[in-house]
Amino acid sequence: MIIVATLVAITLVLLEQTSVLWSFVDPLTFLTSGGWSEVESPAGEITASYGALPMLWGTLVTSIIGILVAAPVGIAAAIYLVEIAPKRLAIILTFLVEVVAAIPSVVVGLWALSELSPRLRDSIEWWIASTLGRVVPWLSEDSSNPANSSVFRAGIVLAIMVTPLVSALSREVIRSVPQSLREGLVGMGATKWETIRLVILPTARAGLISAVILAFGRAIGETVAVVLVIGGGATLIPPSLFQPGSTLAGQIAISYGDAGTVGKGALAGLGLVLLGLTLVLSTLARLMLSRSNRQGRS
Amino acid sequence: MADSKTKVNIKTSAPKSSSAQRASNGASSSTAMRLLNVEAMYGSFRAVNDVTLDIEAKSVTAFIGPSGCGKTTLLRTLNRMHETLPGATVKGSIQVGGTDLYDPSVDPVRVRRSIGMVFQKPNPFPAMSIAQNVSSGLRLSGTKSKRDVAEIVEESLRKAALWDEVKDKLNEPGVSLSGGQQQRLCIARTIAVEPEIVLMDEPCSALDPLATLKIEELIGELKTRFTIVIVTHNMQQAARVSDTTAFFNMGADRGGYLVETGPTNKIFTNPSNKLTEDYIAGRFG
Amino acid sequence: MRTNRIMLRIIQVATFVAVLPVFLILIAILAKGLGTLDLAFLVNNPLDEQVGIANAIKGSLAMTGIALLISAPIGIAAAIFLNEYASTAVQRIGDTLVDILLGVPSIVAGLFIFLLVVPALGYNGYAGALALSVLMTPVVIRTTQEVLRLVPAGLREASLALGVPMWRTTIFVTCRTALSGILTGLVLALSRGIGETAPLLLTAQGSNDSVIDLGAPLSSMTIVIYNNTISSDPIKFAQAWTCALVLFAIALTLNVLIRFKTINSRVL
Repeated sequence: MIIVATLVAITLVLLEQTSVLWSFVDPLTFLTSGGWSEVESPAGEITASYGALPMLWGTLVTSIIGILVAAPVGIAAAIYLVEIAPKRLAIILTFLVEVVAAIPSVVVGLWALSELSPRLRDSIEWWIASTLGRVVPWLSEDSSNPANSSVFRAGIVLAIMVTPLVSALSREVIRSVPQSLREGLVGMGATKWETIRLVILPTARAGLISAVILAFGRAIGETVAVVLVIGGGATLIPPSLFQPGSTLAGQIAISYGDAGTVGKGALAGLGLVLLGLTLVLSTLARLMLSRSNRQGRS
Repeated sequence: MADSKTKVNIKTSAPKSSSAQRASNGASSSTAMRLLNVEAMYGSFRAVNDVTLDIEAKSVTAFIGPSGCGKTTLLRTLNRMHETLPGATVKGSIQVGGTDLYDPSVDPVRVRRSIGMVFQKPNPFPAMSIAQNVSSGLRLSGTKSKRDVAEIVEESLRKAALWDEVKDKLNEPGVSLSGGQQQRLCIARTIAVEPEIVLMDEPCSALDPLATLKIEELIGELKTRFTIVIVTHNMQQAARVSDTTAFFNMGADRGGYLVETGPTNKIFTNPSNKLTEDYIAGRFG
Repeated sequence: MRTNRIMLRIIQVATFVAVLPVFLILIAILAKGLGTLDLAFLVNNPLDEQVGIANAIKGSLAMTGIALLISAPIGIAAAIFLNEYASTAVQRIGDTLVDILLGVPSIVAGLFIFLLVVPALGYNGYAGALALSVLMTPVVIRTTQEVLRLVPAGLREASLALGVPMWRTTIFVTCRTALSGILTGLVLALSRGIGETAPLLLTAQGSNDSVIDLGAPLSSMTIVIYNNTISSDPIKFAQAWTCALVLFAIALTLNVLIRFKTINSRVL
C-alpha cells in the first residue's frame, strides 16, 4: 500500500514533465520571460510563446505580501491565545480564528472581490499611491482609473486566508516551550512582555520560522481566491503593485480551457514550477522543525 | 476443555508421563519449563546473559533483582514477546514439554496461546465490555460456540476472584473498573485461554496495597492450576508469594545475569551467594 | 513598565485583527446570500425557470463521496502499514511522502488529472472525484496515523500475549480502539474535498444539466460560485452569494462535527 502512495507522488511529477513540450520553448526562457500566446497558422504551423516569469513574480509577490501581514498577526494572536488570554476567552477566540480556515476558498474569493477589493482600493491603495506612490513607481496607480484588481489586494486576501494556519502552528510551538522556563523568569520579577521577549520567542524561534515557511507554502498554492482579485491573464509583470497581475496557479486556472498542444505543455511547466516551490518550502520547513526539536527540549 | 491442537504440545507434571522422554532431557517430571543458555539482545546490546534454570510446574517462581538487571526482558523471552520489539533477538533454548520454543518450526503465535502474560499496567481493551475482554483471547484466536464462551467467561472470572464484583455488569466497558479490578480482569482474560504457564510482569506495581493483597491471594489459588513466573521488584512480595526464587543482578557490562536460584525459603534465610545476601538485606538495589 | 503595557496592547489588537475577517465574511454571506435563498433554489436546476443549484449540490456530494470511497481504504491501509508494520526507515520515508502529498497545491492535483484523463475521456465527474481523492488521501493517512499512534502499546502487547496473530490484533484491537478518531479523519478529508474549486474546474468543468451523469461534465457548488462570480450578471452574482451561504453552512457543520468528536475522543 505504501507503494501506492509512493507511486502517486512520483507519477504526479513525472507525468507533468513528460507533458511539457520543450520543442518550442527551452526551460530557461520559460522561466525568465513573459508572454502567453499560441497561434496556429492555417498550414498547421504553430508559433508559440510562453513565459512563466510574470506568474512566478505574481505568485511570489502576493505570497510575500500575504506572509508579511499574516506572520506577525498570526504569531501575535498565538502569543495572546496561549500566554495572555483567560482560558474561556481563548477557547472562543481560537475557534473563531480557525473558522476562516474552514471557509472554502472560493467563498473567500467572492467576498474579497465584492467587499474587500473595492474598499482596499479606495482606502489604502489610494492613500499609499497618493503619498509614497508619487515617489515610488511600483506603488503608484492610475488615479483617474484605479484598477479593479491588484496584486496588493491579492496579497491581503492571502494574508487573511493564511493567518489561521500561522496561528495554529505557532500555538503548538509556543505551547511546547517548557513551563519551567516561564516560571524561571516570572520568579525573577519579569513582566509578561519580558517573559515573551526574552524566553518564549527565542526558544520558539525555529518552530515559528517553520510555521511561517509552511504558511508561505500554502499561500503560493492558493488559486481561486487569488485569481478573483488579482485579475485574469495579465501576461507581463505589472508596473505597480496596485495593478492587475497573475500567478502560477491562477494562470493554470484561467487558460486551461483554450490550451493548445503546446499550451498544455506550458501549463504543465507552470505546474512543475509550483510543485517545485512547494517541495523546496516544505523541506525547508521540516528542516527548521527538526532544528527546533533539537534545541527546544530542555 | 483445552483446545490442545492450537497449542504447543506441553505435558506437565503428571507423574505417570513417559519418563523416557523426560529422562533424556534430564528434567524432573515436574518441570514445566527449562531455560538453557538463554540470552536476550536489543540489537548488539546483551540485556540478559546466559541463563540456565528450571521452572517447576504448578508453582510460583519469582525473578527478583535490582532494576535494569533484565528480569522483565528474560520474562518476555519465555512467551516470545521479546522478539516483537524491533531489533530484539534471543539465543539459547527454552524447552517446554520436550519442544524448544525457539525452534524454527514453532509458530510464536501458538507459543503465546499456551503461555500467557499479565502486564505491569492493567491493559483491558477499552473498546470492549468486561465479558468481551475475558473472551477476547478465545474469540480472536479460535472459534467457540456462544454457549461455551459465556461459560468460560464466568469460569475465568470466578477463578480470578472477580465474578462476584462484576457479575451484574458484564456489559460495562472493561475500563470502568478500578485498577485492582482491571488487573484481575486481565488475569481472567489470560487464563480464559487456558495456558499452561502464566507470566506476570510486576503485576501489582501499579496498584494500591489492598488490591495488591488481593492479587497475591489470587496467585496463591492460581498456582494449583497454572505454573506461574512472576517478576517483582518487591522482595517481600516474592517472599510471600513464591515457592522458588531466582535472583538476578546487573553486571559490569550493564547486562543482567543469574546469580542464584533456589527454594524461596532458602534464598531469603540462607542464600549461598554473598551478592544475594546483600540484596536481601537491602544493602543495594 | 509602560513597554509591557504597550506591547500587550499591540498583541491584543493583532488578535483582534486576526479574528475580524471572520465576522466580516460571515455578515456578508448572510446579508447577501439570504435574499435569494428559498426552497426552489435548493431544489431546482440552472435551466429551470427559477434557477436553482440542485445539480451542483448533488454534483459536489457525488464527487466528494466517490473521492472518499477511493481515499478512505487506500489512506487507512497505508496508515496501518506505516504505523504497525513498517520499519523505522520506511516510516520516515513514508512520512516525508505524505507530507509532500499534503502540500500539493489543489490546482496541481487538478492539472495532473486534467493532463492525464481529460484528453482521453473529456471532462467528467469521475475525473473530478479522482482529483479530489489525490488531495483527500494524504489527509486520511495523516489523521489515521496520528490516532493509531495514540493507541497504547500495552493494548497490542496484551493482544499478542493472548496468542492473537498480528493482523487480527491490528484490525480488532488497534483499529477498533482508534475507530472514532479514524472516522473523524474521514470527516476532515470530506470537508477538504467539498470546499475545493480549482481541481474541479479542470476536471469536471461544470454543467447545467439537471441529470447527474458522472461520465459527463459535472457541476459543483464551488464551480457555481466561481462561474457566477466572474460573470457580469448581477443576478448571477447574487446567486453566487446564496450558493456560498449553502456551501459555507455545510462546511461549517462538518467542521463543528470534527471539533466535537475530537473533544470526545480525548477521553481515550
